[in-house]
Amino acid sequence: MFRGKGEPMCRKVRGMLSEYIDNSLSSENKSLVERHIETCEACSKELESLRMTVRLLGRVSQSPVPRSFTLPVPEPRRESVFVPSGLRLPRPATAVAVIAIGPTSLRWLRPATAIVAIVLVVLLMGDFLHAFENNAGVNSGRGDATYVQLAPSYAATEQQTMVTVPGIMGQMSLATAKAVGYTEYAMVPSSPVSQPITQPIPSVLGDEGPTGAQVIVRGEAGVGWPLRQIEIGLGAAVFVLLALIIFARRQRTKGVGAG
Amino acid sequence: MDEQELISRSKSGDVEAFNLLVEQYQRLVYNLALRMLGNSEAAEDASQDTFLSAYKAIGKFRGGSFKSWVLRIAANSCRDKLRVARRYRIISLDTLLLETDDLPQDNNTESPEDYALRRELGRFLNEGLAHLPEDQRLVVILSDVQGLRYEEVAQVTGSSLGTVKSRLNRGRTRLRDFLLQREELLPSKFRLNK
Repeated sequence: MFRGKGEPMCRKVRGMLSEYIDNSLSSENKSLVERHIETCEACSKELESLRMTVRLLGRVSQSPVPRSFTLPVPEPRRESVFVPSGLRLPRPATAVAVIAIGPTSLRWLRPATAIVAIVLVVLLMGDFLHAFENNAGVNSGRGDATYVQLAPSYAATEQQTMVTVPGIMGQMSLATAKAVGYTEYAMVPSSPVSQPITQPIPSVLGDEGPTGAQVIVRGEAGVGWPLRQIEIGLGAAVFVLLALIIFARRQRTKGVGAG
Repeated sequence: MDEQELISRSKSGDVEAFNLLVEQYQRLVYNLALRMLGNSEAAEDASQDTFLSAYKAIGKFRGGSFKSWVLRIAANSCRDKLRVARRYRIISLDTLLLETDDLPQDNNTESPEDYALRRELGRFLNEGLAHLPEDQRLVVILSDVQGLRYEEVAQVTGSSLGTVKSRLNRGRTRLRDFLLQREELLPSKFRLNK
């Protein structure tokens, strides 16, 4: 705007005028500017006009705020609080006891659910593939195996036909009843799940049976631990955890969104 | 309660403590937004956005000047608003004229003429600011209107000290040129080229 004659020096000095006004030049540059403006009228006018501009800007007052920009403080009752979008407010003290599962619970709920679900799937797959069956007959759960010693010459129908004898608890095969000497017995209707599975008798029966004796295990082959109950328990746990996750997510949404 | 304690309590979710900080800085933030955007409604929006963003991000505040930190958020909020305004042509910078009573009264016996001149000068200044490029405008407002030191301006703008000085020099010169072109409209005592 104001043209000086000594252009290179004027350009250099004018580049420092702003800092000179703010008194932030080094003493060396400050002296340089002061020496130059004493001899250069154009730069002197430039300095004065800039100084006036800065002075005018300094007179611009701060306008009062048209309204307060404070954030809404949450009240104890969550549903009566307006919360701007995206704002997470601390949980009111009275709500803490009621909401034990809060948004932060999601941190452990998700992995816990995943672990339980994986274990359940593994168990179900193993169950379907009969990986957990224990055909040795050592049954601590739902086993209903019955050990009966039979002579190999007995008829197959007598081996498979089950009877009850008055005064004796439980059932036995017709062949056994006859062998023991019982004359009175009642026939038990045969069940489709009661097909006998025969296998060599373990040595534990030893001398008590004739050679070639067999054990008859009725019903399903045994499992060494209560698999079905565990599967049901894990399934229920997955449902409960999923419900808690949904609840926790809703809590978070309430806490974050507009109430 | 000092500022550090208010910040600490705000970090733990105390909205009331944060509101004390808001009350302390809202005028500064609003005026920065007002000068940057030249529109009181947009400035209100930008100020509210600033404090909401600040509350959400206060956990990331790692100390230093809270004033610079919150002004930086405000500056970013203003940039966002200007970007949107440019995209949708909501605000034309050529027509930005503030209605506020910008220059303080010299004394209690100000004549109606002086009052009118003072308002006119305030209008010129705001118009001049609106004509500055965005980065220069921000630096000029922070330094000359709000009185921040170079270091604080550098923190707010996220620029180096050298960049701040350069922008300030160019911004002041440009504003001075704008005022000189309209000097005949300025009150005599405010004329730059006496």
